[in-house]
This record gives sequence, C-alpha cells and structure tokens, in this order.
Amino acid sequence: MCGFCLLKKFEKQCDYDESSQFACDTERRMNGHVKSMHFQQLMETAAALLSLLLVMAVDSTRTVAASRNQECGNSLQQTLKLTRLVQKESVDLIKTYKASQGEMAELFCKVTVADVPDPNISGLEPSERLASISIHLQAFFPHFKRVYEQQTDLQSPTSPLLAELTTVSTRSKNLATLINSFYQSLFPNLPVPEPAGGPTTLPPPQNVFQQKVYGCVVLKTYKELLANVSRELRTLKNKVCRRRIQINTLFL
Amino acid sequence: MVPKRVLQLLVLACLASALRAGGELYNHLVITPQSPVLEIGTNFTATCMIINTDEITAKDLYWNLSDITVSNKQYTKINSSSLSVTIPVIGEKHEWLFCFCKEVSNYVYLNRSKFRHGIILTKGYRPGKPENLSCEAVQVKMEISSTITCVWKKVGRSSTDVPTKYTLYVKELGRNHSKETNGNSSQVNLEIFPHHMPMEIWVEAHNKLGRIESGHLSKDADSFVKTNPPSDIKVISEKTFPTSLLINWTHPIAEEYLKLTYQIRFCQNGSQSWTYVPLVDTDKYIQSFRLQNLRPDTVYVIQVCCKNARRGHGYWSNWSTNATMRTPEGIPKGKPDLWRIITKVDGVNERQVRFITKDPVFANGRIQRFHIKIQDKKDKVKSRSEEWERIPVNRSEADGSSSQREITFLKQIDLADERSVRVYVTAFNSVGESAQASLFIPDKAYGVWDLAPVEGLNLSSHGGQLWLEWKAPKNKAVSEYVVEWAANGWTDWQRENRTTTHTVIKGNLEKFVCYTVSVHPVYSGWTGKPASVQAFVEEGAPLEGPEIVDRKLGRNDVELVWKEIPQDKRRGFITKYTIFYKNGSKTHSVTVPANTTSYTLTSLSGNTRYDAWISASTIGGSARSLNHSFWTLKYAAGEIEGIVVGVSLGFLFIVLMTMLLCIYKKDVIKENFWPQIPNPGESTIGTWSPHHPVKADTPKENCLSGISVLDVDVCDGKCVFEEDKASLPLKKDKYLSEEHSSGIGGSSCMSSPRQSVSDSDEGGDMADTTASTVQYSSVMASNGYKGQTPSSQPQQAIFSRSESTQPLLDSEENPDMLLQEGSKHSQRFPRQPCFTHTAQNKDSTDPADCHQREMEQQELLEPLDFYPLEEDSEQTTPTEGQSADWLPAAPASSYMPQRGGYRPQ
Repeated sequence: MCGFCLLKKFEKQCDYDESSQFACDTERRMNGHVKSMHFQQLMETAAALLSLLLVMAVDSTRTVAASRNQECGNSLQQTLKLTRLVQKESVDLIKTYKASQGEMAELFCKVTVADVPDPNISGLEPSERLASISIHLQAFFPHFKRVYEQQTDLQSPTSPLLAELTTVSTRSKNLATLINSFYQSLFPNLPVPEPAGGPTTLPPPQNVFQQKVYGCVVLKTYKELLANVSRELRTLKNKVCRRRIQINTLFL
Repeated sequence: MVPKRVLQLLVLACLASALRAGGELYNHLVITPQSPVLEIGTNFTATCMIINTDEITAKDLYWNLSDITVSNKQYTKINSSSLSVTIPVIGEKHEWLFCFCKEVSNYVYLNRSKFRHGIILTKGYRPGKPENLSCEAVQVKMEISSTITCVWKKVGRSSTDVPTKYTLYVKELGRNHSKETNGNSSQVNLEIFPHHMPMEIWVEAHNKLGRIESGHLSKDADSFVKTNPPSDIKVISEKTFPTSLLINWTHPIAEEYLKLTYQIRFCQNGSQSWTYVPLVDTDKYIQSFRLQNLRPDTVYVIQVCCKNARRGHGYWSNWSTNATMRTPEGIPKGKPDLWRIITKVDGVNERQVRFITKDPVFANGRIQRFHIKIQDKKDKVKSRSEEWERIPVNRSEADGSSSQREITFLKQIDLADERSVRVYVTAFNSVGESAQASLFIPDKAYGVWDLAPVEGLNLSSHGGQLWLEWKAPKNKAVSEYVVEWAANGWTDWQRENRTTTHTVIKGNLEKFVCYTVSVHPVYSGWTGKPASVQAFVEEGAPLEGPEIVDRKLGRNDVELVWKEIPQDKRRGFITKYTIFYKNGSKTHSVTVPANTTSYTLTSLSGNTRYDAWISASTIGGSARSLNHSFWTLKYAAGEIEGIVVGVSLGFLFIVLMTMLLCIYKKDVIKENFWPQIPNPGESTIGTWSPHHPVKADTPKENCLSGISVLDVDVCDGKCVFEEDKASLPLKKDKYLSEEHSSGIGGSSCMSSPRQSVSDSDEGGDMADTTASTVQYSSVMASNGYKGQTPSSQPQQAIFSRSESTQPLLDSEENPDMLLQEGSKHSQRFPRQPCFTHTAQNKDSTDPADCHQREMEQQELLEPLDFYPLEEDSEQTTPTEGQSADWLPAAPASSYMPQRGGYRPQ
C-alpha cells in the first residue's frame, strides 16, 4: 500500500460515498480560498501518512533481511563449528594413526602419494568455492573407506584407530551434507555439487608399508583440506551473508 | 454418508457374485464389513445380505450381539435381501455380531448353518497425541554418547485388542532412525552423535484405528546434550583477600564438541541454603571464577555445573562434587557483645559483678583475646585505671559461621553500692582489633535517675520458642533492649533495637526448663531496671512427686506437710496439688492450690490405717509422691490423760475409803483376822494331873518328838501312818498340815479343812522342811480337859495347833532314811522350841529368821526350863537307831510339864 493510493482513494470517496456526498457538495460550494486551504491541509496529512508508511515498509524489509541474514549466519556458523570439530578429530586421528603404525610413523606422512585428492579449494565465486568444498569432501570418502579396510587388516578390532576412522568418516559425511544444505539454501537454483570427474580414483593394491603411507597421507591431506575449508567458510561468512543483506535492500 | 453406503453395497454385490461362483459351499447370509476394528464410543452399522436363495427375505433376518438379540428398532431394511443394523460400540471386550434367519421353511431348518453368519467386533480407542517429548544424550567419557534417549507422555486410552504402539523417529540430515515401543520411552542409537547438525525428533502413536504424531523437536543436535559436570574443581584462598575465593575447573568436554556455559553456587559449610552466582557473570566459556563478598574465616562449599552455551539449548549437567575452602581471616567487624551479671552480696554493701561477653557478630576469625578496662567514674584521673587487661581465650577451630556465639567470662569484681564504673572491651583475632564495646554499671541508687523498666512484659511459648512482647517505658528514650534469659546458673542474652517491642529468644532453649526471662532497657549505655518473668518452652509432668516430710496425727484428722519439688525436677509450673488418701479400697482426694505445702485431712476414722500420697500437677502432667501410710490415733489428744486421772482419782478414793474403814473397824478386823490364840506356854495344862497314866505304848504310835501330843485315839495314829505312806511324794513339795496333823492323834480326823501350810520354799531347806513339817494341836475342851479318853463331844472341842518342821513321821516310816538323815535330825531337835510358837510366826519360814527366833525362844524358854533333859536324849537317839525306844520315853518326859500348864481359855 502506498500513500499516494490512499490520497486517491480519499478523492474517490467524495464521488461514491453517499453519506459524504452532502459534505462534498458543501465543500464545492465554498469560496476558492477556503477550498484551497482545505486541500493544502489534506495534502499535508497525506504526505505525513505516506512518509510513515514508507518508513514502516523499509523497517519491515530490514527486519526480514536481518532475520534472513541471521539464518544464513547460523547455518554458516554451524558448518564452521562442525568443520572445526572434524578438523580437531582429524588431528587426533593422525596422532592415533601414527601411534598405531609402529616405528617410523613420522616418515610415512612425509612421503608423497598419488591419487590422493587435492586439499585446495578452487573456484572464484562463493558458489563455486562452496561447491568445491563439497566436492573435495566427497572425494575423500572412498579413500577413508580404503584406509579403514586396510587398517582393519592391520589393527585389532578393538583398536581406537578404527573407531576414530569411522567417526571422522561419518563426521565428514555430515559436514558434506551440511555444506550441501547450506549451498542449496544460498543458491537454490544451482545444481547440487557433485564430483565432476566421476568416481574417485583409488590407488591400486598396496603392500603394508604402502598402506601405512597411504593412510597417513590421506589423513594428512584431509586435515589440510579441513583447514582450508575452515578458512574458506570464515571468508564466506562475510561475503555470502552480508551480500544477501545488500541484495535484499536493493531489491526493496 | 451416501457414497459410503453405496460402496458398501457394491462390495456386497461383488462378494455375492463371488460367492455365487463358489457354489453351494458358501452361506446364504453374508455380513459386511468383515472383522472390523471399531472405535469405542461410536456407532457401528453392519449389513446382512441374502445370497443364492429365494427361501428367505430380509424380513426373516435378525441380529444377535453375542447371545442377545438386537432390537429390531435398530434394524434398517435396505432391500428385500439386505438388512442392516446399527449398534453402539461399548466396552473394550471383543464381541461377535451374528446375522440369523428365522426358520421359515424346511430348507432353512435343514440348512441352519448356511443361514447364519457372524463377524467379530474388535474394539479400541484412537491413539492420543503423545505429549511432553524430551530427548537427552549424555556424555560418556570425553564424548557425547551416540545413543539418544527420549521420553514422552502417553495420551488417551488403549484397549487390549487394539493396543497403541509408539515409534520414535530421529531424523538427521540425510539419515533417519526409528524405533518402536509399547512404552513411553525409547532409545535410538546413532552412528555418532551428530554435533552441530540439525536433528528432528518426534514420536508417533499408532494402532489399528489410526496414527498420530507428537510435536516435532527440530533443533540442533547439541540441544539434546547433557554433559558431565566440570571436573577438577579447585578453590584457592588468598590471604590478602579475606572475602574472596578463586575457583578453577576443567571443561568436561572439548570446545569443538560443545561450547559450554557455567553456573556456580556456594554456601557456608553445614548450611543447605545455596547462593547462586548470577548467570550473567558466569554465562561464558570460562574455567575460573572469583567469588567475592564472602565472610572471612568461613568455610564455603562450592559447586559448579554446565550446559550448552547456546541459550535454550541443552540440559544443565548435574552439580559437581563439593569443593570446600575456608576464607582467610579478616579484621573483626563490629564490637563485642558485653554484658554483666550482678549478684547482691549479703551483709555487705557490695555487689558482685561478673562481666561476660560474646565475640563480635563478625569476628572474621578466631578471637584470641579480649582487652578489658574498668574505669571508676570517680577515679578517672588515676592512670592505673586506664590500663587494659588482657584476657586470652582459647577458641576451638570452629567455623565462624556458627550462629551461636560463645560466651566468655571476662572478669569479676566486687563493687561497692555507691560506686559506679564503666567497662570497655575489645576483641582481637590474628589480624586485628575490633571496635570497642562499653557498659555502665551505675551505683546502687541508680533508681534516682528513674531508669524505668519496660511495661507489660508478656511471654508466650509456641513452636518450641519463647516469644516476648513488651511496651516501651513511658517518657524515656530507650537506646536498645537487652533480653536476658537464665536457667540453672546459665545466662544468655540478646540485644534488640529501640523500636522492638516483641521478639523471639534466639538461643537454644531446652524443654522442661524454667527460664527467667528479663528485659533490660538500656538508656544511652545505662542499663535500666529489668522486668522479669518465668516461662517454660514446653511443660511436662514433674520428674518426681512432692515429698511428704511430716505429719501430725490426730484421731479424726492428720496434717500432712510436704516439701516442694526441686526446681530442676518440676518441668513446669505446679498448678495444683492433689492429696489422695485411701482407707481400704475407697480413695478420697483433695485438691489444694500450688502455693500450699501442708494440709489437714479431716473426717478420718480413728485407729485406722490410711495410705496417702500427693500428686503435683503441671500443664504437662502430674507426678505423685510415694505412699505415706499412717494410723490415726485411737484416742484423741487429752483423752488418755483424762482416763488416767480419773482412774487414779478412783483408786485414791478407794484406798482412802479402805483406810478409813480400817481405822474405824480396826477392832473388828483385828478380831477376825488375828484371833487371839492362847499361848501354850501359858497353858495351865502343865499343872494338870491326869486321872489316867499315860499309856506306855502311845508314843510308839504317835510320831511326835520334842513335843508331846495328847493322843486321843491310838488307831488314829496308825491311820495317819498309813496315810503318810501314801502321801509321801507330796512331802517333797508342800506339806499339808491337814494330812499330817495326826500328831495330835484323833484331832486330825476332827480338824477343820483349813490348811496350815508350812512353807519351805527355799531349795536348800526343802529336804529339811518338807519331810519334817507337822502340826501340833492342842485340843481344848470347852469344859476343860478331862482325860485322854475319847470325848463324847469331840466336835465341841477347841483345838489350837502349832506347826513344826519336825521330821518325826518320816523317821517312823522309813527307818533306813532315818539312819541316813540321822545327823540332820539330830540338828533339828534343838530347833524344836522354835516351833512351839509357830502360831504367832507361821509366816516366817526363813531358816535364818527361824534360827533367830529360835534363839529368842531359847532365851525365853530357858528360864522356863522346858524339858531341858530331852535335848540330849533326842540328839543321841537317831544315832542309836532306836526310834521305837526313845519315842515313848521322850513324850512322856516332855509332855508332862505342858499338860501341867494347860488351862482352858
């Protein structure tokens, strides 16, 4: 509803409202000065009303924008918290992993292994970077599975390493799901991010040493990825959620 | 409704067509719907349809619910082959509904089983919407458990046939979990607890009648977390901060899992009144907190708990274990509570004043000593009185939070009545000194200042406490009041401000103890006159009854005096005494006021035993004394004295009368009692000359020796001899003159029954006297003695007798004994003259007297020459053993002078 429309409505009221017909006729019969004064007063009142309505409209828009922004922030905050949790668990996992691999465990992790996903996040736009995070996370799932299988052969069933591997793996899936959800809430019209190059390539069968090296590298790389994700999300928090406020404001 | 009915008919039609196809194996009646589950409280309509027969129509059908035929009012005829019934669904138990057909034809009768059909009606309730769903995931080790437990409240009823089940749904992002249960709680095991993930939880109630979901809990998964309480709580006490304690703890779970907020509470040790630190101060992810504004030297107990920092999410953990710490000591705040106890010293114009004090309310540590200064008002200038005296105290390591402050005795002084002093006291702990407390002790005449007491002091007890109420003194500005209570030598007090007019005693008062409660108004440091009243917190029955200490017995009354029960055993105010007294089975009682300690019971029976006891009563009960038994007197006071005096006077009167009688009737009495007996010695018989010579053999028969007896009859002597034989044993005891008076011959036969007893009771003389006593009689005829021939008038003869201890008869009887006792006889013969006068001295049997008299007699007789020759002859006779020879000779010689001297009187 705009103030101008209200003014027009008032004009029309004289034409259609029978009860006020007499008043309108009397008004018309009044001299020009009085008529002019009344009209001026009417215009002032209408302007005041219009201003008030405009203020209310802007305020409500801002409230809606703020609530949307808060929602965005909360989602991102939760994602960030989960990332930090997985990051912390991955750090603990690497420690457990090293402790359970026997001697020279430190050396395993310094070796470079092929076919391990890249921990770096790509893309220019926030949507691309978010999609990149999701894809990278998903890319690690088969590797976790492979490491788990390998370590199942190497460790006793009650080894804390296996439990921690399971936890990190599951938590990573949760994180990927959360990021996807967040992505969809931010960019509902964009497709759900999926690994572009098809299924992740896993390394060929390995010996025990290679398995140990492989596992450590996977975990280490994953930890790097999480560090990148965490950093990225902090950046996105400022970019994505604030931009939405701006968009909303402009839209209104 | 219409489409439903159409649908039903359609189903029936299909069913009917199907049954037709099946041949004759099927019933001719079919009910629809089959096996329905019905909601209790609704109406159910079933339709029975006739198929494959024309034998019957709808009007031949009827319905049975179990065994009861349903009223045809509830029937609805749909068409000629269909009949429906509508019944209300009541009760939870399942029932059978049958459609029967009347036996309208033989075919129907023969095929009865085909003309019936039944359905079972299963009844139940629609499930209610579960309420109050709450879920919780607790911490296990350092993580949150992957098992989430939910609880809800069942709503609605459930029947046995249609049970309601519940399914718990937990929806994570991308995964769903569910678990079915019959109860109101369930657990769902997740793979890991999904921290920071959204989660949706709800429960669905469902049965055959429907399903309904509870409200959904759509929250962050961390909203369901309940962590462990913080661990390793350490409390640090710093000397420089006596009112502060620093608390440190460890987070129970890593921040990455859950960010926590904390809550802290603390209380003084022993108290359960917790003080909570405002949440705004601890609503952070903190690991330490400083408690402030605490009391110095007080032990505090501290607890911490935590929850999800996100407001409205998660559950508070349990409280941590107690962490205890004492705050450091601080300078005492306030001043000591100084008071005094004034006791009057008897006989001296002095008062004994004892100063006592309590620690300052905020001692802020252990009081180590007090300093006291007593300043005489008249002695102000003297420097000595300004000196402080140190009074060390040894306090235990008690908590400073104790509400009961210890009373310390400071000093005792004797204060002259005319003196007034001012006392100052300060308290010290290890840190510093308290403010100074002062107290005035005015002189005895302080009444001149008119330090008026409070008015209308009233004291009541309820709820185990003593409540006081008073009115402020008029026209006086009271600065404060001191309420003092004392019992059993113990005094305590409390202070009340000037506006107080009612209060409760805050000390620990004991039941059944009499407290003297005083209210002292204090006028600018001067203590006014107290108003006192006694009270018990609670009264009970006395521990013992009053002791009866005295009684004053009368014939019909008794006064009982008892002692009051000792104060410590009264346990209440004595309201009355009841005196019980019992005679036999009847008990009487008298009630007397409490201020009485004696009472006279009246209307008692004389010479009767009574049991009495006294019962002392308080509001709380009564106690009785021991039984006190007494006999009332037989005579009243003075009664015995009267009797004694009366009897005495009577006796005196009788004696006097007797004496008077004796005096006036002296001659008569003398004549009767002491008749004049002629003295044989004066008898003229000695000069008498008989006409007949004395028989020579007479002495043989007569057993006399020493004294010659005029024998009247010879045979009499023999008789006597014979009698003596028979009566020999009696001679050992008493010798009866009657039996042995044969010494005078026939006189014994004529003698009167009067016994003439010759006593010889003395043991030593028994043998001498018993065997030797004999009566000697002188028979005197009224007309004078005419001869020894028996007189024709023996009864008229007057005889006089004399008694002797002469052993003559025994000698005659037992000649052997005579030989043995010859020496004794020989000694007795000289006594013979003694017995010549026994008529005058018959009462005197004492040998000594006898001997004396013998001597006297001898003196008297010697001049008379009374047969002096026979003495020798008699002395010698027993030794010769010829009693028969000497006996005749002796009387002849001795008797002659007697006869000659005898004269009739």
